Amino acid sequence: MAFLELNQVTYTYRQCGRPAVAGIDLAFDRGGITAVIGPNGSGKTTLTKLMVGILRPDAGEIRLENRPLRSYSLAGIGRRIGYVFQNPNQQLFCNTAAEEIGFGLQCLGWEQEVIGERVAFYLDYFQLASYRDVFPLHLSRGERQRLAIAAVLANEPSFLVMDEPTAGLDAYRKRLLSDYLQKVVSLGRGVVFVSHDADFVRRVATRVIGLESGRIREDSGGDRGHAA
Amino acid sequence: MDAVVVCDLTFRYWPDGPDVLNRISFQATPGEIVAVTGLSGCGKSTLCLCLNGIIPHSRGGEMSGLVLVNGKDTREHRVASLALEVGLVFQDPDTQLFSPTVEDEIAFAPENLCLPPGRIRERVNQAVTLLGIEAFRNANPNRLSGGEQHLVALAAVLALDPPVLVLDEVISGLDTGGRKMVADTLETLRCQGKTIIVVEHDLESVAFADRMLVLDNGAISRLDRAEAILADRDWLATRRLIF
Amino acid sequence: MQLDPRTKLVMIVCITTLAVIYSTPGRLLLLLACTLLLLMMFRVDAGAVWGYLRPCMPLFLVLFLVQAFFVRGGAVLLAVGRVPLITGGGLAAGAGVVLRLGVVIAAAVLLTTASSRDFVLGLVQWKVPYEIAFMVSIAIRFLPVFREELINVVNAIQLRGVDLKQVPWGRKIGIYRRLFFPVVYGALIKAQQLSEAMEARGFRAYPQRTYLRRLKLNPADYVLMLSFVAATLVLVWVQIRP
Repeated sequence: MAFLELNQVTYTYRQCGRPAVAGIDLAFDRGGITAVIGPNGSGKTTLTKLMVGILRPDAGEIRLENRPLRSYSLAGIGRRIGYVFQNPNQQLFCNTAAEEIGFGLQCLGWEQEVIGERVAFYLDYFQLASYRDVFPLHLSRGERQRLAIAAVLANEPSFLVMDEPTAGLDAYRKRLLSDYLQKVVSLGRGVVFVSHDADFVRRVATRVIGLESGRIREDSGGDRGHAA
Repeated sequence: MDAVVVCDLTFRYWPDGPDVLNRISFQATPGEIVAVTGLSGCGKSTLCLCLNGIIPHSRGGEMSGLVLVNGKDTREHRVASLALEVGLVFQDPDTQLFSPTVEDEIAFAPENLCLPPGRIRERVNQAVTLLGIEAFRNANPNRLSGGEQHLVALAAVLALDPPVLVLDEVISGLDTGGRKMVADTLETLRCQGKTIIVVEHDLESVAFADRMLVLDNGAISRLDRAEAILADRDWLATRRLIF
Repeated sequence: MQLDPRTKLVMIVCITTLAVIYSTPGRLLLLLACTLLLLMMFRVDAGAVWGYLRPCMPLFLVLFLVQAFFVRGGAVLLAVGRVPLITGGGLAAGAGVVLRLGVVIAAAVLLTTASSRDFVLGLVQWKVPYEIAFMVSIAIRFLPVFREELINVVNAIQLRGVDLKQVPWGRKIGIYRRLFFPVVYGALIKAQQLSEAMEARGFRAYPQRTYLRRLKLNPADYVLMLSFVAATLVLVWVQIRP
């Protein structure tokens, strides 16, 4: 039983002629880092939005932990899958960086001390400690990107979907991210990310899926441990 | 005459805050491509904003030093008037695209310059052809993918036909096809005598540059020929600029 | 049949004028129905209109209640002891205010059927200064974007594991209150960046600007504009004559 499964998923944006994604069959297990690559407009972002339930497929079905994705609320999905948007501005809405990272846990009613520790850890790891009281939208793009990633990772969901996580990052921070992702995977969690960064994909992905015009052009396999 | 002259440029957002840019000085000549790179937060984007007058006119903060673009002092001319000399493509495509169609977006700049409709149409066609975006000429920019939006933003600035072009993290948002298109376009523009400043943190994507300016915490840590810097792997590693 | 955006603007002004003149719920309801019919003819789907009306519901409720409790007139429907609380007149006034706003909002939705650039062209050809034309057009064009922004933020919040529907009201207000400031501030920053982008492409470099396209009014446009204005004048005269 796969953690997340897509069966013949098709989606067309309103007012658009051709489908953004069509006939997608994919299965993801926990564990392993999957990269989704493809040219601009090939449907990568649409695929990630379908996977986390922001968009509902026009045809086909998506199952999460063997239940239809539709049966979950968006929050329910969010507790199992962490999603990092392509544009960091879309997911930063707190008053300070520290608040942003602790937001999910705060709303779930965790203890202040535990939240404090987690927040401190992630601020440190992503080199944002000196910005802990800064308004997120005042940070540079790269810093906002790291903050968005940190805020999603802080909830420690069992699966991660990331849309172009490296787009704003410099080489050093990309290394930090790749180290972190590999650590996360070694703890038995799964990662799927969209990227144009061939170098990052090569270093980090254990499975590569290529999209073109909304369809799967290649899939290096469902087995963990087989690099592209 | 140098197309871009920056002399002792220093900038901070708050009087008691840190210097975001610290005594930056460099020049760029016509027909040259200068890459600006450095770790995130080093001031690359802030430098871009200083080159077209948004700093100091639109953002607050304290700026000292001199920035001349084609002879015009950025402190003495409004941003709209500096647009005749320098075109800036911002980092976030979605805050710079506001027209209902791509064609309208690209036509916006030549319309502002009071060009006759025939010339406006020429410029739009040129920009569309250069970047290979004919396919979505009539599309709504907001409905395009991130990479496509970057191309539209660049086309819209190209239609300004400025002598100086500044690109803020445009290339890393593109796929291989898009990068090639842009690299070819920049090469064409360079041969026309334009000055191009490209800000990127991904060094390999700006290997085609003539010179490279490396910023570190707002100050210049190295200004040299691009090939020399890219070949110096040890130095890049100590600066954590390569993976 | 493509109508000039100026024709749509004239229609909106006519409808809004009638909405201001009329005050009885009956007439306003009729006006609202006609407006919705008009929107349907322009192929605006009901879902989109509801999308604009739904966020205003809390405001409508507040306005309705204020009118219902404070305006007196007609039969007393609810009283506490001898003190009348809600009267027929109050209900009518409340319904009137809500319907009036509803009509204005629905009419404004008509603006979204025109391309924002065409809208600017129309205004400029009617001698409105281009700075104002652009300001208005961008404000309109950004309404749906702003709505999408809100949806994005709500999605992002929920995807962090926070179920807004199940959070108790006390906490929910706390969350919305905390989010209000960053979301508004974020919108303001976007607005500033947008104006910078426009200036960076030469906007307002010169007192005039040229245009790639020009709009032409068709006979259909003239006919519609004249009939709407005539009908409005007649209805207004009928309403306000002694």
